Amino acid sequence: MTDQSKIRNFSIIAHIDHGKSTLADRLLEACNTVELRDMEDQILDSMDLERERGITIKARAVRLNYHAQDGENYVLNLIDTPGHVDFNYEVSRSLTACEGAVLVVDASQGVEAQTLANTYLAIDNDLEVLPVINKIDLPAARPQQIKQEIEDIIGLPAEDAPEISAKNGINIPAVLEMIVRDVPPPEGDPNAPLQALIFDSQYDSYRGVIVYLRVMNGEIRPGMDVTMMATGAQYKVVECGYLHPRGMVPCDCLRAGEVGYLTASIKTIADTRVGDTITGAANPSTEALPGYKTVQPMVFSGVYPADGSKYGDLRDALEKLKLNDASMSYTQENSIALGFGFRCGFLGLLHMEIILERLEREFNLDLITTAPNVVYKVEKINGETLEVYTPLNYPDPMEIQQAYEPFVKANIIAPPDYVGNIMDLCQQRRGEFKDMTYLDQSRVELHYDMPLNEIIYDFFDALKSRTRGYGSLDYEMDGYRPSKLVKLDILLNGELIDALSFILFSESAYARARKICERLKEHIPRQMFEIPVQAAVGGKIIARETIKALRKDVLAKCYGGDITRKKKLLEKQKEGKKRMRSFGTVSVPSEAFMAVLKLDE
Amino acid sequence: MPLSKLFRLDKRPSEKTKLGIYIHIPFCRSKCQYCDFYSLGGSREKDLTDLYLQALPLHIREFGARARDYSVDTVYFGGGTPSFFGAEGLVRIFNELQRRFDVQSDAEVTFEANPDSAQSALLQKLHSEGFNRMSLGVQTDNDDLLKKLGRPHNYEQAVTAVRNARNAGFNNISLDLIYGLPGQSFEEWKGTLNHVLELEPEHMSCYGLKVEEGTPLWEYRDCCNLPDEDDQADMYLYACDKLSESGFRQYEISNFAKPGLESKHNLKYWLGGEYLGFGPSAASDFAGKRFTIRADIMDYCEGVLKGGTILSECEDMPSRERAGEYLMLRLRTTHGIDADEYTRRFLLPFRPIRKLLDRFGEMGFVRQDESRYYLTPKGMLISNKILAELLLAQEKSEPLAKKQR
Repeated sequence: MTDQSKIRNFSIIAHIDHGKSTLADRLLEACNTVELRDMEDQILDSMDLERERGITIKARAVRLNYHAQDGENYVLNLIDTPGHVDFNYEVSRSLTACEGAVLVVDASQGVEAQTLANTYLAIDNDLEVLPVINKIDLPAARPQQIKQEIEDIIGLPAEDAPEISAKNGINIPAVLEMIVRDVPPPEGDPNAPLQALIFDSQYDSYRGVIVYLRVMNGEIRPGMDVTMMATGAQYKVVECGYLHPRGMVPCDCLRAGEVGYLTASIKTIADTRVGDTITGAANPSTEALPGYKTVQPMVFSGVYPADGSKYGDLRDALEKLKLNDASMSYTQENSIALGFGFRCGFLGLLHMEIILERLEREFNLDLITTAPNVVYKVEKINGETLEVYTPLNYPDPMEIQQAYEPFVKANIIAPPDYVGNIMDLCQQRRGEFKDMTYLDQSRVELHYDMPLNEIIYDFFDALKSRTRGYGSLDYEMDGYRPSKLVKLDILLNGELIDALSFILFSESAYARARKICERLKEHIPRQMFEIPVQAAVGGKIIARETIKALRKDVLAKCYGGDITRKKKLLEKQKEGKKRMRSFGTVSVPSEAFMAVLKLDE
Repeated sequence: MPLSKLFRLDKRPSEKTKLGIYIHIPFCRSKCQYCDFYSLGGSREKDLTDLYLQALPLHIREFGARARDYSVDTVYFGGGTPSFFGAEGLVRIFNELQRRFDVQSDAEVTFEANPDSAQSALLQKLHSEGFNRMSLGVQTDNDDLLKKLGRPHNYEQAVTAVRNARNAGFNNISLDLIYGLPGQSFEEWKGTLNHVLELEPEHMSCYGLKVEEGTPLWEYRDCCNLPDEDDQADMYLYACDKLSESGFRQYEISNFAKPGLESKHNLKYWLGGEYLGFGPSAASDFAGKRFTIRADIMDYCEGVLKGGTILSECEDMPSRERAGEYLMLRLRTTHGIDADEYTRRFLLPFRPIRKLLDRFGEMGFVRQDESRYYLTPKGMLISNKILAELLLAQEKSEPLAKKQR
């Protein structure tokens, strides 16, 4: 059992690519928590996908044993946080489990949009924020200026911030000493009724849900009956323990101030919501810890099996994924064009891409995904209001009194040279300029109100390309505003393909329609007959392209020796055809559905 | 009924199963830029040809023993360039065939020839030994183009070769042409075809140029000015029209013949006949198995002479697979497929196939003649697409026998 005064719970926060995961690795290494030879880079990111994309999706925690310079042994609990704006709520819950946060700032790039956003989030959660200047080994490093920047822009004292290189292992002990010295030990009464915060959970096919938690008050022991206060679910604790980087280490008891996990034969992750409070069934706490909310998916997209007969497989896969990811939602949807599928809700586009990739990779499914959309609200003439999750349900224009779309407050930071480009981009995306502040000579912060719809597609990519990678973005939801919306329909060979319809701002309709027709023409292979590709709004055709008929696809020679090869060729062609969806007589490859999304070149 | 008849002890030649024999001659004067057949360009070293002439007859003898129940009605010497290999070698091989197999006296015996090696003496020798059909590689009448393609002859030599063959007594001559060549225009192709028809062949093969990976032409494919899809399609359709006007009947995607003079040997590939192939890269469909010999002359000779394995592929053909081939191969020909035969042979429903064929019929790609369906020239041009759809429908269909249970 660890003395509360010797515990330090902390997170590392940073803008993307400023070196958060690498620093985590070095801390682990310095505490010998991981043997060097077992060290695989960036241990905390354990999903394959995370490693490939270099981002952290699931928060994880790990316990480090540190022998400090004062001669005492400390337990340092490092709680890792997801590094993307899609997962803001998860970040905030992870931070709540800590008393301090190490703020990693790149010594050459300085303060960026996520640096600010994450710092504010940490300060809101009453965390002690400890700046660290990373990447001082880079030639472009300018640690003194960056420290000044942190003081000027964020208002944090940074004079004593350690100057480190996580990559090269320079000055790592200084970070550990700082954590011991400056992060306050946890408070909390081990004898009070149990209150433990769930900051993450994960589904394990043997043990059921593994709940990652921080005990705020009281204690957890195996065999104890616990209640999840928000969902009301009750379980008997099977095991509790703390998290070693190489696995879970069971213990008899987790007490106030400690970070660890529990298992309790929990079958569904939906019962263990991030932010919920666990309390004892016998001696329950009267109130839950503050800050819990159910996360609402922001972006919705139709997900269909490329082969209609795989509907059952897709349903099973979604069920399994949902066990692991409570922030995703899905409901059955039926498209005339694509048959049975699901309307899935995601926190953002990155979240969506990750889920889709996991479905394809881990469950071996070929999917067709329709254009993602945000949730629109429509007031009908008959006084009814409805929330529109899919273009399939968008009401007839005649019935609409007023449509509303969600807006965000966007916060963009970039060098002043790119202000013009950014303003152009934001204007194109219907952004409403609010204000602009010079953070210092090399950095401007712009505030815009923007429709969420304009951000979800490719805004971030466009921003990056218009600022040579220097621009950074952060945004938060800001309610609904009235808007002029239309539904754009796509017709192939005169037939309306409902799965290609989407909702957009009416003034963008013409330009978009033209581009989409062009894209479809590029992505749909020539077929046995000519195919008109048309875009229509309310029955009126506003753009058209034609896919010419295929004229020649033949193997000129096929004698004895060619037959086996020819069979293989046809087999391939047949498989290719299988991966396409037929609309009447037109075959559309699944890529075509996604290709229409990326319109910015 | 006499016992002998019951047990077929006195099986007469006419009752034997028909067999085609293909002999691969993997020698050429030079390798053409577009060629991806197995052949050794520029090599006719005596050691190697001698070795080949040892191995090949031995191989023939071995198989002759296994083909007692067959009578050979077609023999085809392909390559490579058989005419370049020389009459003596071809005759030796043919004689061995006649010794080891029951080769019918009226068998169709074809050899492939190139204009530069189709001399009078060779032609006369072959004709006197029983070769009765020549397939001559003309390709185009444009000498520049011939040169660029790496062909070792000009058009004049092709004209001479045809004349020599006539004089030698050949009355069944086939000419090969290629359309869609680099820089070739529709008008040029038209000219070539008309020009070549003046030679009055009995049979024509017109192949669309296919640029195969691994050939020298592949490397130049993007800069050699190949005609586009539409031009190629126009060239093909023109050839179909023109040849039919000139008294030819199209009987396969790339093959046209005066009535009754279709290549009996090649038809076996498409109509499901049995054939045996000898020589590296040769393929067989024999006694229910489909197998291919390795494309390497040394492997082949050593394997035959020392008793090692020489096959690169060998597959048993389940009925399902045969059903797929039936569609794929038969629809290459104007014989097409027959609904009743299909159902009877493969016990598969024809309905799903018919549904598609009817649709393609409305689009002008398929024609129907009672229970028989075949592709129009327009349909042949996109036959890969059509076949992929038919095969997909076939794959999904349940065998009738199973359904009845």
